[in-house]
Amino acid sequence: MTRPARFLVRVGAMASKEVMHIRRDPRTLYMALAMPVVMLLIFGFGVSFDMDHIPLVVLDGDRSATSRALVRAVTADHEFAIAADSDETTALRMIRRGQTLAALAIPDGYQRELTAGRDGEVQLMVDGADGVVANQILSKIDGLVRAESLRRIDLAAEPPLQVKVFTLFNPEARSALFMVPGLAVYLLAIAAVLLTALTVSGEWERGSMEQLFASPVGRLEIVLGKLLPYLGLGMLQLLLVVAVGAVIFDVPIRGSTPLLFFAGFLFLIGMLGQGLFISVVARSQLVATQAGALSSLLPSLLLSGMLVPIENMPRVLQALSSIVPARYFVHAMRGIMLKGSGLSILWIDLVALAIFALAILALATARFRRRLA
Amino acid sequence: MIVKPRWSVQLRAIMRKEISQTVRDRRIMFMLIVAPLLQTVVFGFAVDFQFDHVPTLVVDHDASAQSRQHVRRLLADGTLRDAGRTSELVEVERRLQTGDAAAALVLPAGLAHDLAAQRPAEVQVILDGGDPNRAVVVAGAASRYFGETAEAMVKERLAAHGIAPPPLIRATPRIWFNPSLKTPPYMIPGVMTILLVITTTLVTAMGLAREREMGTLEQVLVTPIRPVLLLVGKMTPFLVIGCFDVLLVLTAGVWIFGVPMHGSLLLVATGTVLYVLSTLGIGLLISTVSRTQQQAFLAGFLFAMPAILLSGVMTPIRAMPLWLQVVTFFNPVRYYVEVLRAVLLKGASFVDIWWRLLALLGFGLVLLTVASLRFHKRVA
Amino acid sequence: MSEPSIEAVHLSRRFGSFQAVDDVSFSVARGEIFGYLGANGAGKSTTIRMLCGLLAPTSGEARVAGFDVKSTPESVKASIGYMSQKFSLYLDLPVRANIEFFGGAYGLSGPDFVARADEVLRLCDLEQERNAITGSLPGGIRQRLALGCAILHRPAVLFLDEPTAGVDPVSRRHFWRFIRRLAREGTTIFVTTHYLDEAEYCGRIGLMVDGRLVALDTPAALKRRYVPGQVLAVRGRNLAEAAGSLRSRKGIIAVEPFGAGLHLQVAAADWNADSVAVALTRAGAQAVEVEPGEPTLEDVFLAVVARPREAHAP
Repeated sequence: MTRPARFLVRVGAMASKEVMHIRRDPRTLYMALAMPVVMLLIFGFGVSFDMDHIPLVVLDGDRSATSRALVRAVTADHEFAIAADSDETTALRMIRRGQTLAALAIPDGYQRELTAGRDGEVQLMVDGADGVVANQILSKIDGLVRAESLRRIDLAAEPPLQVKVFTLFNPEARSALFMVPGLAVYLLAIAAVLLTALTVSGEWERGSMEQLFASPVGRLEIVLGKLLPYLGLGMLQLLLVVAVGAVIFDVPIRGSTPLLFFAGFLFLIGMLGQGLFISVVARSQLVATQAGALSSLLPSLLLSGMLVPIENMPRVLQALSSIVPARYFVHAMRGIMLKGSGLSILWIDLVALAIFALAILALATARFRRRLA
Repeated sequence: MIVKPRWSVQLRAIMRKEISQTVRDRRIMFMLIVAPLLQTVVFGFAVDFQFDHVPTLVVDHDASAQSRQHVRRLLADGTLRDAGRTSELVEVERRLQTGDAAAALVLPAGLAHDLAAQRPAEVQVILDGGDPNRAVVVAGAASRYFGETAEAMVKERLAAHGIAPPPLIRATPRIWFNPSLKTPPYMIPGVMTILLVITTTLVTAMGLAREREMGTLEQVLVTPIRPVLLLVGKMTPFLVIGCFDVLLVLTAGVWIFGVPMHGSLLLVATGTVLYVLSTLGIGLLISTVSRTQQQAFLAGFLFAMPAILLSGVMTPIRAMPLWLQVVTFFNPVRYYVEVLRAVLLKGASFVDIWWRLLALLGFGLVLLTVASLRFHKRVA
Repeated sequence: MSEPSIEAVHLSRRFGSFQAVDDVSFSVARGEIFGYLGANGAGKSTTIRMLCGLLAPTSGEARVAGFDVKSTPESVKASIGYMSQKFSLYLDLPVRANIEFFGGAYGLSGPDFVARADEVLRLCDLEQERNAITGSLPGGIRQRLALGCAILHRPAVLFLDEPTAGVDPVSRRHFWRFIRRLAREGTTIFVTTHYLDEAEYCGRIGLMVDGRLVALDTPAALKRRYVPGQVLAVRGRNLAEAAGSLRSRKGIIAVEPFGAGLHLQVAAADWNADSVAVALTRAGAQAVEVEPGEPTLEDVFLAVVARPREAHAP
């Protein structure tokens, strides 16, 4: 047999042994397939910024037809719901108790001012603790009040200057379109790193790894043979989460699906390699598990742009995020799914993912030798 | 010399051993001391949802003095940043796709003339909707600026004809607590809750699992130490360390990030202790279903992830679907982070948060009881 | 004083459908060294764990040091010491920390305990190692520490579950010397072991097979009962085949491999050393040497455990 053929045969043998192990351990399968999907379902619904029926306290000091009209306008399409009609002390108390997030204060004399041709002043009071929510509320109410203001004076002439806003890629501004691709990457990263860290380090502890090295199987063959089945599982996971995203969360795939899976392929190799590297370096399964969890969780959560925008971070952290593969895959996922981005735009991400994958595999393979010597 | 053992001697022995073991284990010390500080710093600096300097492309087909003035004024307050000029919409689309720019302002040709001739004019804002939070901020800034400009124009024109301007409704924003809408005051309490989950749930679960795994548990059970004493002795040091960590993070938060402390520290302490009852209970429960440290770690980890993400730490509970909101009623993490934020940021008093403290107490007692019973059963 | 130190009455324990201990009854006097033998899985460890209060019996009763195991397990635990099969002290702590912890567990404290701790370290020859991390010590020294921790509170009964497994012969000797001294001073010793030469030290031995106590007596009595014939030790070449031909002959009670040769049990009336040698040589063995031997507990063990049908008596 030729050398390449022998190589493939050995890799194939390693891979099928690994598959047998996986089949016999249902927990691995659960973690690989069920966990990411279940978590995506839960987090896809749970991790979002989209609110409606936002509780609003109305402080109507005027109690006129005009003030009531304003309140109606604000609550018309159910973005806000009246939580109480009371005074400022009550409103503050309710905010402290988390029962409301905002208050609309219409002072006494509001209708009188407007009827007399003067501007009517109202106050928008917002719980500033959660800045994101506060921004949302301020924007929304501002828009609603402005619309009511214009409706009132019945501008027969069109306003002299209008702004038309086109929201590309996500016209309804749904959180899900932003979150789900990011969550998918996050879950895939954790599952991939944990899986390899667990299984490979388990072999070290059982001593079966040493036995392997006694046979004529080379280091690279071992590395590849171990990774292949998990790569297959990972691609299956990717398929499942993309399907869940599309079916349950209406996340489209506007770009090329093969490109998506190719990016996923590169990403998974990198993550599996990371898990492999950890299990080669760690001296026990316990340490490998902890290191795997922490090294995949924190960067994927904080530095990948999945939840927290990278552009807002201080330069140091932005630089750090440039060596986190999850960042590139999140960018690629969002690009392909939401924006229909193609190779011409995403080639940088693919190259970065490929570099990481090769580097970590080389590192892991090199450490193998040191481990045995 | 059969001595009827005094429980105080036994308890002291357990706690000393526990502390001794913890201090010797460098990994645990790292998790308990260094990790909290690291997490605080990283979370505090990394998580910032306040968008400013959003890169915005300018497509100025008009290229008049007025159009340039509008652009300058719009970009003045720093929410938007000038990302360059272009005249091709294709270029806009490309740069929005790469993520280079997040928005584009399009001013049509003849804008200045139209405005001068009092013909209605329209500017366009093209947004990358990929990040809805950011899109809201940009859209809001544009609407506000052009809305105010339009109102000013209407006033001018009407005044020119001697007509009184029509009355408008002006809304003045007033932000209670955290007026600059900074993110760290909101996030640091989140870091505190996450930390406690790690120190009290994970570490205690693993500690107990380790005793089972190493066989030392059996040796301890053969002594006249009552199991409940064993549990108290094992958990107390971590309760103390957890509270210490919380104090550490709070101090760092106040010093480095200016987290306010408007409410009573006593309330914070009470909430912390009650919360820890729950987290310890969960840690104990996890240890009763784990045979090895690794199982305990994984179980703890797989519990912590959803418990934290679905607790309002990172995203608001109100944004969740109703069925999930109901589920969060059973999540002690939710109550603790709400207590922290209410007390620290909003100066809430006992009356404001008492039912959350009650919930924490309730969960804590139930969890500890169930877990202890399970523990007893497993060792009997 | 006449009350037995350990008393088991119809003690039973089942796990699901598996009967691990089946109706075991015995009593051990104060200061006795009681050995408990049996194959792996015969139920020895389960019995010990019930006697220590670690496991509740499914039926039956047991009293240890005068306390009932089911109703007052804490009092039982306060009166006993236990050394488990697998080393179960804290490997990450130094020797003295283990001593301090287990002393505290038994409620010992104060200057009295400090003196006792020093005494135990001396008795177990651990003074040099008092600050060494337990995990760094070799197996034999660890066992000494385990024993030390078990006797801190001067227990009335000491339970030892295969205490010398994996320990070198010299250490084993020292260990047993220590145990016998403890017994002389009044501590009851309940020990399980696979080292049948050590079992000879025991005052009485109980043999467990499949959860039942099938034999209980002094070593001498057991040998007399279960090895009734004359024991012959045989050396030579090609013994296996030749011995096979002897098995069915009258007067040959048992033929067992023993070391490099054989142990034969023969009816003294029918055979002696010479006749056996002749028979073996005729059957094809060479360089045969036959010597009369003493029955050992191994012979007893084999008789009881390996050939249960013959040896069992209700």
